[in-house]
Amino acid sequence: MSPLKITTRNAATGPVLEVTGDLDYASAGGLRELLPTLALRPGQRLVVDLAGLEFCDSSGITALIAARNHAHAARADVALAAVPGNTLRILRVVGLDQILPIHPDSETATRS
Amino acid sequence: MDIRRRNNVTVTGNPRGPAVVLAHGFGCDQNMWRLTVPALAEDYRVVLFDYVGSGRSDPSAFREDRYASLDGYARDAVEVCEALDLRDAVFVGHSVSAMTGVLAAGMAPERIGALVMVAPSPRYIDDEGYRGGFSAQDIDELLASLEANYLGWSAAMAPVIMGTPDRPELGEELRNSFCATDPDMARVFARTTFLSDSRDDLGKVKVPTLVLECAQDAIAPREVGAFVHRAVPGSELVTLEAVGHCPHLSAPEATNAAITAFLAGLR
Amino acid sequence: MCRSGRQPDPHEAGGNDAGNAAFAALLEDSAEELYETAPCGYLSTLMDGTIAKINATLLGWLGLERSAVVGRMRFTDLLTVGGRLYHETHFAPLLRMQGEIGGIALEIRGAEGVRIPVLVSSAVKYGGEGEPLLIRTTVFDARDRRSYEEELLRRKREAEAAREQAEAAREQAETDRVRLQEALATLQQSLLPDVLPDVPGLEAAAHYHTASPERLGGDFYDLFAVDGKRWAFFLGDVCGKGPQAAAVTSLTRYTLRAAALHDPDPVAALSTLNAVLHERYTGGDPRYCTAVFGLLEPDPATGQVAVRIAAGGHPPAVVLRADGRADFLPTPGGLLVGILSDPRFVSASTVLAPGDTLLLYTDGLTEARTGEDRATLYGDQALLGFAAGQAGKPARDVIRALTGLLDDFGDGLDDDTALLALGVPAHPAPDPVTKNAR
Repeated sequence: MSPLKITTRNAATGPVLEVTGDLDYASAGGLRELLPTLALRPGQRLVVDLAGLEFCDSSGITALIAARNHAHAARADVALAAVPGNTLRILRVVGLDQILPIHPDSETATRS
Repeated sequence: MDIRRRNNVTVTGNPRGPAVVLAHGFGCDQNMWRLTVPALAEDYRVVLFDYVGSGRSDPSAFREDRYASLDGYARDAVEVCEALDLRDAVFVGHSVSAMTGVLAAGMAPERIGALVMVAPSPRYIDDEGYRGGFSAQDIDELLASLEANYLGWSAAMAPVIMGTPDRPELGEELRNSFCATDPDMARVFARTTFLSDSRDDLGKVKVPTLVLECAQDAIAPREVGAFVHRAVPGSELVTLEAVGHCPHLSAPEATNAAITAFLAGLR
Repeated sequence: MCRSGRQPDPHEAGGNDAGNAAFAALLEDSAEELYETAPCGYLSTLMDGTIAKINATLLGWLGLERSAVVGRMRFTDLLTVGGRLYHETHFAPLLRMQGEIGGIALEIRGAEGVRIPVLVSSAVKYGGEGEPLLIRTTVFDARDRRSYEEELLRRKREAEAAREQAEAAREQAETDRVRLQEALATLQQSLLPDVLPDVPGLEAAAHYHTASPERLGGDFYDLFAVDGKRWAFFLGDVCGKGPQAAAVTSLTRYTLRAAALHDPDPVAALSTLNAVLHERYTGGDPRYCTAVFGLLEPDPATGQVAVRIAAGGHPPAVVLRADGRADFLPTPGGLLVGILSDPRFVSASTVLAPGDTLLLYTDGLTEARTGEDRATLYGDQALLGFAAGQAGKPARDVIRALTGLLDDFGDGLDDDTALLALGVPAHPAPDPVTKNAR
């Protein structure tokens, strides 16, 4: 059990959320509550950097979907970066790999 | 249930004589009759008991709802009579027990054949057209006094029932224990005694009744004695030259003489 | 000390003088004076309580002249009414019976109507024949002690009240907890079929593992007749837990049932569910589920059952073959139900021959944490291996074995898990009613 920590930074493409720790039933609300506070302009890309993600359950998946919905509502894009193997496997099972662009790391994800 | 144990029943005197039940009032227990028993023992079968919540009764039998009315105490008296299968017994009740006797005689007319009411009062609080001698505030004060002595008891009234184990030095143990009761049970008895109003029950008495009053009684003044005498059909009133509320202790000879004369008249 | 023929030591003499002076002063404090001005009240009464003698200290407390008291008042006249009642019912009888009584708390009516809490002790003086002559009484000012006692009593009452309150709260909480659990259990039951229906030529068995009785799970399954020849089933997992998830579960279950009656095609049923969920839960609070939906068509002639399934976001079903093989029946790329308005669902088909079983499960099973450190996930391959070990067995035995596996996970299983097995008996029994297990 590692506490969830989210750091926000701005790249040329738009905001980057660096998510570390566990994204689960107890903590996923933290990510979802953060979304409306992001300054996301049309055409930008919201990057969720999961390099430090240690665990993700279905609530975490929900938060990622909420991030996608939020970006699309702002007429922006969304992308995941550095998705750990376990989570990638789950994303594939649930078909989310088809609707969430996945990049090997945040550097490639923030390349416009 | 073993009523004899529950009410700490004592049977003494002449086993072939007519039964006389001596019932204590609020405050102490059957020891109050210690100067009365010798005067009756030769000719009468004398029955003494403690109401549940008093003396050496079984405290586990106490139910607040039952003893929140005088009926509960009257049922104790009736159940004692039933346990001993008494018929036509004379019920001698002191203070509140005089009214308990009235109620018990109504509940079990075959058991109780006559009443002696010692320092009775059917209602302690003044009412319209009636002077009982006390205000509701006075009764609250008594309850406060009970509270105050709850702690004061530590020396004077160390309650035997509150945990003193059975000990052989019975004489020593008896000291100070007559008036020792669990404070919660005493509070219920006090409220029931001093807040009840049994005036309407007096007219229902159908048995020969002796009303014994004291010339100067702070609890049951003479006008209350007169009220009881008027209200109980065919009753006899004797005024004792005694001060206080316990003539059987302060004026035992006169009290005993009045009781034995009444008993002799019943035969 | 005084020896004749010798000059006394000055120090010794001086010391003697001082000691003698103090002692002389003490002697002048006569018994009478001590009685009158002692720091406590004294009084003596006749046996009827009439006051015969009283000291100045007590008169001072009462604010009364001696002449107004002696021979004119009784002891009880000095008391408050409540104290008088207590005196008559307790104090006087005890004193008569014991000859003495000590430390009784009463109140006297002091000067200017002030009540003074006192502690009263009395003793009867007897004559030569043992006859009681008079009562001697001491009265101690107990104002300090009484306030201390009242404080003690107040604290005791407060403590009792607090204890009772805590006890009542605890009982209430326990009652609430039991009631809530009952409500949750009832609700959970409403999300699952009471019994599985009899399907000719098929044996069905199911198991539901609840991770926490306090939290409603979001897993669900069902099996029901579509028409005289076909049966539909589904199994899935609504994201999240608790009442909101249960609401989605309920919506999901009844949507799928209704959809199947309209069009039992698996992809069509999931599409209908997708439309309902997407419309209902769009925006910042997405609600979605994984689901596998299937249609069964038994062939009485061959004893085989044709199966067509579609899945969205759900782990692949497993087919256990009579010959001991176990394979996934993949539906790759099927998307979670409810997140997109135009999703893609993938279907797959197979035929269950006698001895074959189709196993559906939710990811509580494959995501269970195993190993010493609870860090490894049970995983697909382990499940496949376990299933192969059960291949050829009746559906109910497969479920029983998997239930045992879930139990063995212990703490590692922290999610709800639903299991549904649909098997074609290897040797059909003659009576179609008795061969369907629940």
